[in-house]
Amino acid sequence: MLEATGLCKNFGGKPALRDVSFRVERGEIYGLLGHNGAGKSTSLGIILGMIAPDGGGVTIDGISVQRHHARALRKVGAIFEAPAFYDYLTGWENLRLLMGYSGGFDAKAAHAVVARVGLTARIRSKVRTYSHGMRQRLALAQALLPEPEVLLLDEPTDGLDPEGIKWFRDFVLSLRDERGMTVLFNSHLLSEVELMCDRVAILREGRRVFEGSVTGLQDGVPVFEVDLEPWGTACGLVHLSGGEILSAGRIGLPVDLDPAAFVETLVRAGVRIRAFAPVKRSLEDLYMEILNGAPSPN
Amino acid sequence: MLFFEQLRGELRKLFARPRTWMGYGAFLVMEAVILIVYKMDGSQRLMRRMVEQNGLDFSTYYSSLTITFTIMLLSMVLLGAIYFALVAGDIVAKENEDGNLRLVFARPISRFRLLLVKYTAVCLYTFSFVFFVGLSGYAMAVAAVGWQGGLFVMEPKMKIFAAYGDWSTGAARLALSAAGIGISMITLSSIAFMFSCFKIKPAAASIITLTILFVDMILQEFPFFKPYQEWFITWRMSSWLFLMENPISWAKIVESYALLFGLNVTLFTMGWLSFQTRDFKT
Repeated sequence: MLEATGLCKNFGGKPALRDVSFRVERGEIYGLLGHNGAGKSTSLGIILGMIAPDGGGVTIDGISVQRHHARALRKVGAIFEAPAFYDYLTGWENLRLLMGYSGGFDAKAAHAVVARVGLTARIRSKVRTYSHGMRQRLALAQALLPEPEVLLLDEPTDGLDPEGIKWFRDFVLSLRDERGMTVLFNSHLLSEVELMCDRVAILREGRRVFEGSVTGLQDGVPVFEVDLEPWGTACGLVHLSGGEILSAGRIGLPVDLDPAAFVETLVRAGVRIRAFAPVKRSLEDLYMEILNGAPSPN
Repeated sequence: MLFFEQLRGELRKLFARPRTWMGYGAFLVMEAVILIVYKMDGSQRLMRRMVEQNGLDFSTYYSSLTITFTIMLLSMVLLGAIYFALVAGDIVAKENEDGNLRLVFARPISRFRLLLVKYTAVCLYTFSFVFFVGLSGYAMAVAAVGWQGGLFVMEPKMKIFAAYGDWSTGAARLALSAAGIGISMITLSSIAFMFSCFKIKPAAASIITLTILFVDMILQEFPFFKPYQEWFITWRMSSWLFLMENPISWAKIVESYALLFGLNVTLFTMGWLSFQTRDFKT
């Protein structure tokens, strides 16, 4: 549905993106992760045609954004961190104005979307009186009004309270479930990305250094937190079974070794087991491994 | 139809901002002051001398039409220019500064079309503002001296002199001149609009525009620039005064407005090219 191929961009001779490619399938929620200056926003700018790439390009449903900007963006809705609406107009006027650029304003459809994002009571108020959460709801409304097939979210939950973040996450997930919407989610809130996205790409210094499914984060070596005594005997058995000692109290076992069978071996050898729990590898673990320069799983 | 919907939205934005209305307020105050001064004995004596020196009847030409003409002649290039530069200089640069353009760029609209909508809005604002000044000035003048009387025109710099004793002829010429001023002022708005498309602050766009205007006017006053006065923008912008001549010098008017039109197109194109090739960070 959305494909970025070989994106390159320099700002003042400094590379912001270096040959970045990714593909977001229809109905998929795809996360773009990276620290500040990693190239996430530049990627989004290129997707929206706001930034001209030095190399590569983006297609949305097969239409090139760089060659046919207006046609390609017909199927796109976007939300930015701290969306800058026209504060001196009402929420309704903002929607009307922005829809004027998207093929026309349909009041009936606008009422329905405004109700869905829960802004009906305040839609006739000036935007300058809105809270951050209300602005984000209005941003969602303006993004959804053209009935997009692709939704681009740039740090949309920044500054929202936990309740607002949960509401936003549930809303986006419902859009995918109900409409099969494709979502590109650009964020540095790792927990949010992990909860929402099917796949993620991690950018570092303008390069894509990882791409994979969120469920696939568990695909590496199974890691266990253990408390075993005597520790020396236990370490010997770990090595014998082909595993490794990662740190004091943390072991890695071969993928094909049944942990239950290993526990049985330990018991038979007279090792006392006080704790033996699998460690779930989070997106944060992976992210930190990559940022710290550890080899990525791919 | 979609263009008009976009234009309607642009005008809604334009007139929703207090700075757009500042000019209207300033002109109403200035018109009131001019009228008060006009009613004073000293001013009337001066006016009487000017009219009677030309062999005309003072009571005919001390009129609402003459007052309105004077208001427009003296105020538009100086005070009007400030507001045209402010509004046109703001229209793109301010939205970029405030981040509003990000939301617009996420829409399926080309940058050319976006600028065309904004430029059309600026032209309409400029034109409507000039007519507002004319109509409000006339309404105030009618309240002060009555609606009757002719139109007396004297502008030594452009060597224009005309007198229309009949109200309807004078009013028609005044309306025609308002249209002429409106077209002339679009050039000033175009300069500000072009700078607004550049990567500069909105205030800088307005200030640079006014600087160009004032430098153009000052240089024109230098005696050794006289032979070249037709090369100055403000001289061309003053061509609306030829609409007051009897008979009208259409050739001079067409020449000047063709030149201004070409300049406007060039300014818009330069602004668009700069806008088109710029990166806008999210």
